[in-house]
Amino acid sequence: MKTVTVTEGFHYGDKTPRLTLVHGHELMAGDRSKQGELDQEKYDAHENVKIICLGDSAVGKSKLMERFLMDGFQPQQLSTYALTLYKHTATVDGKTILVDFWDTAGQERFQSMHASYYHKAHACIMVFDVQRKITYKNLGTWYAELREFRPEIPCILVANKIDADIQMTQKNFSFAKKFSLPLYFVSAADGTNVVKLFNDAIRLAVAYKKSSQDFMDEVLQELENFKLEQKEEDTPDQEQGDMSKSPSPS
Amino acid sequence: MKYIAKKCGVRFQPPAMILIYENEAEGKSRQRIMPVRNFSKFSDCTRAAEQLKNNPRHKSYLEQVSLKQLEKLFVFLRGSLQGQSLAETMEQIQRETTIDPEEDLNKLDDKELAKRKSIMDELFEKNQKRKDDPSFVYDVEVEFPQDEQLQSCSWDTASVDEF
Repeated sequence: MKTVTVTEGFHYGDKTPRLTLVHGHELMAGDRSKQGELDQEKYDAHENVKIICLGDSAVGKSKLMERFLMDGFQPQQLSTYALTLYKHTATVDGKTILVDFWDTAGQERFQSMHASYYHKAHACIMVFDVQRKITYKNLGTWYAELREFRPEIPCILVANKIDADIQMTQKNFSFAKKFSLPLYFVSAADGTNVVKLFNDAIRLAVAYKKSSQDFMDEVLQELENFKLEQKEEDTPDQEQGDMSKSPSPS
Repeated sequence: MKYIAKKCGVRFQPPAMILIYENEAEGKSRQRIMPVRNFSKFSDCTRAAEQLKNNPRHKSYLEQVSLKQLEKLFVFLRGSLQGQSLAETMEQIQRETTIDPEEDLNKLDDKELAKRKSIMDELFEKNQKRKDDPSFVYDVEVEFPQDEQLQSCSWDTASVDEF
């Protein structure tokens, strides 16, 4: 298994995933008026990450989710967006992280996802089936679309169904090398490397979000400094300064 | 009363399913002939198999015979009614129960996709480790070293411009 370099100190205190309802008023079961709504703004909050799944029909994306979530497997079908949403809570470096896994709901038949699927995603899990060459050949299409919308998020390449053909774990897959993607050999059936795959994806998503958040914070700080400089230049000879200030962006 | 199924086969003329079974108490081999009626060369084999398996008169005898096996036997029977040879029907069954690794399932309609998924599910369920299994382990990690000495996957021998 290719080693993924992530900031040290990440750990998972609770090995068994559990489902936690995020913000009780959102997407409540039985609250049909909210069924069609997706709050994409919440992904700006520090403790929320969004991880998307990509790959051809029948490569096993949903079976992988089910194996990872076990009793917490309660997919929410949102037909408005042609997607399936899975909620999960993880602990990374002592912090509680609320994870939304986005899976397609048949939309991959068209080999293209709506832009909102990619919007604000922090990591991608891209799956092919080791028994079906075409699913490997189609990765290029998926990867091109991913990078069009999310040029920099971490992407994990997943070779699923190794239980059906264990010899495939002895192969080199040049797609992973060409794009420098970590490659995971997994089996949704017998569980091989499934938990590690998802936990690593969560860590990568958190790390990506942290680094990109730092960048955004720096940009905002620069803008603030720029405004202050402008103000000083505009009133150089004023004896008494204007005490009121515009509020800092949150 | 418990019946132990030993063999299940199809008789073409007159149409019937034949079960060789043992009575659990006696241990003696017996034969049960189950006539097939209202079945033509246009009939749905899945439905016919379901009807036979759930038939009150035959249900307890067929408990150990899988629906899949019965369905296959009905496919043979239908093939015979269509004038197909045994070899032709076997070839058809083989074609319909394996997946072409070059077939792009993204391009199929719902029904055809569901058929392929059902085939793949058979192997999945056979290999599946369930939570209820006593030997179940939630987090299974296996290292598969990726170094340059590994053989290239033949899938990558196609045009280098493909990606």
